[in-house]
Amino acid sequence: MKRAATEFVPLSTATLYILLSLAGEERHGYGIMLEVARQSEGQYKLGPGTLYDNLQKLIERRLVEPVGERAGDEDPRRRYYRISLLGKAVLSAEVERLEGVVREAKVRLQPAKPRRA
Amino acid sequence: MLRSVYVWILRLHPRRFRQRFAEEMLLIFDQVAGSAAGRLAEAALVGDGLASLLRQWTLRPEFRREAAVALPALPVTDGVPAFYTFGSFKPRPTALIHGLILSIAVLCAALLAIRYSWNHTVHLPFPIVDHEAYNSPEREIAVFPTTAEPTPYAAQSSAGRSHEVVRESGANRSIARHESLRLQVEHKLQPTEDGAEKKTIASGQPATAATRLRPSYGKPRDSWSNSLFLNRSGASQPQASPPKPQEATRAQAPASAVEDTKLDAAERQRVLDGAIANLRQYYFDREIAQETALALLAHETRGDDNAATDGEAFAGLLTKQMRDASHDLHLIMEYSRERLPEHPPESTSESVARYRTAMLQENCMFKKVEILPHNIGYMQLNFFADTSVCQSTATAAMASLNHADAIIFDLRDNPGGLENMVVLIASYLFDHPQYVYSPRESPTERSWTRSPVKGNRLADKPVYVLTSGSTWSGAEQFSYDLKMLKRATIVGETTRGGTHAGVFHRIDDHFGMGIPEVKPINPFGKADWEGTGVEPDVKVKAANALKVAQKLAESELRNK
Repeated sequence: MKRAATEFVPLSTATLYILLSLAGEERHGYGIMLEVARQSEGQYKLGPGTLYDNLQKLIERRLVEPVGERAGDEDPRRRYYRISLLGKAVLSAEVERLEGVVREAKVRLQPAKPRRA
Repeated sequence: MLRSVYVWILRLHPRRFRQRFAEEMLLIFDQVAGSAAGRLAEAALVGDGLASLLRQWTLRPEFRREAAVALPALPVTDGVPAFYTFGSFKPRPTALIHGLILSIAVLCAALLAIRYSWNHTVHLPFPIVDHEAYNSPEREIAVFPTTAEPTPYAAQSSAGRSHEVVRESGANRSIARHESLRLQVEHKLQPTEDGAEKKTIASGQPATAATRLRPSYGKPRDSWSNSLFLNRSGASQPQASPPKPQEATRAQAPASAVEDTKLDAAERQRVLDGAIANLRQYYFDREIAQETALALLAHETRGDDNAATDGEAFAGLLTKQMRDASHDLHLIMEYSRERLPEHPPESTSESVARYRTAMLQENCMFKKVEILPHNIGYMQLNFFADTSVCQSTATAAMASLNHADAIIFDLRDNPGGLENMVVLIASYLFDHPQYVYSPRESPTERSWTRSPVKGNRLADKPVYVLTSGSTWSGAEQFSYDLKMLKRATIVGETTRGGTHAGVFHRIDDHFGMGIPEVKPINPFGKADWEGTGVEPDVKVKAANALKVAQKLAESELRNK
């Protein structure tokens, strides 16, 4: 699984945010958009065209699974999506990669200490 | 507006993407639009949609090529026209067969329902209108008898108060009022379609003076009706006479002639005795007359008649008793609330002249003679007028249709008339002399058509006769004979059902009876149209009859 997951990384920004928004719970399309905006503190806004283009890819690659309508929802037309196990593994792999990036960045961006002779 | 643009952008997306996400994208659009984000946000979504459109068509060929089997088609519910596809769904063969059978069954049911409604008349009860309210002479045209025929007729208006009223065009003046027919019998004749329509008849003289019951020309669709009578005793004399002032006064005040309608035992006895005497004297079959008389007596002895305390009921009862015993529907007992005249009307040359004028003014009741599309001749005849006055009119009318390929006689408003006109018109429809059955008289040479008519081309053309519930008497004779001879197709409603075959015999001031004095020779079987009417070959509402007959004629002509 892990090996398969690494094949998908690195993820695009949109894909990353979508998987991230679905990591906690199932969401419908508009819910994903709102969650992405919240997580990015408004810095990254996802349009429906981009969202569903990415969802299409994620579903085809089995990172996300369509759940369908949810009984009792205020709008019966809403269809929910959830992250698959593979999706979670991919997300973990991506986060690991990003952590490595951050770690490396932190190292690189630290001011060089004067060497003692 | 922007929403529609967005919807159309979604429509233009590749099918698979559209099926999967278009509805959700539109939902998001609606939610953004509903969240007071403003036009700018909507425009941004439209821009996003356009970008998506471009992306899907240019950068995502791999998704377009895949078969649309992964997901079922998602219905679009935004009200915008769209093509739905079954996708991978395929109904089972049995479901298809069931659907086919169901569809055929529903189609057949619908067609049957349409056909039923086309062919069946809904008969609504027709309210009885008090004829007193229709005393206005302007509403009435009555027909006068003529001298030339051995069977002249008199006419009268409803309730017999102001009969023979003919209005000259525009001149507000009644031409004549016939005193001797002032008093009439009003009764329920045969059960009509509404079971309550009334007709009136009049009498001539007391028992010795006999008057043949005839319908009159009037407004047959009105609930009151007129009667036209044949006076046998005045064979060569027309019955109409000019009014005398004092008689006119009486005629205008019929109420004074109406007497108490309650019957007592003495009156019943008098009527019964009169009926029995008349039956024995005039009925054409002595044996049946005797049996009928005995039956009447037996009913009387058993007290069957005691319950009838009003004239109409008693007359109806006696009619039923006579018909039950004799099996002759032409026997009838009549009751008049108004006093029956003691003498038959006299006719004068003046009244004949008036009849002639009135008939000619009305074009002898040939209301319409024209050629319809497809060269179908059409004749609306509202009365069979006397040939002594109207022969040339009838001849001209038939001549104008001579080159028609089919002919439609419209008798829907025809209450009857004279047999000589019935026979004259029928003459054009045969190429050999044809016996025309009449329940009113024994066959004579006048009962045969004068076929072939020189120059006539209609003898072998298809004939259609339009009938209604108002088609009566002589018009029924025309329909009945042509139907039985298979010379015409009757289209419309069952006719009213009156032969007026009996000769009227006055019994007393309020009762009289119709007695057939000659045995009708019906070559087609026992029953004619008395009481039953003539059944149409094609039963349709009278209002639709012309249209249907035209279609029948057209299809017949096409198949030739």
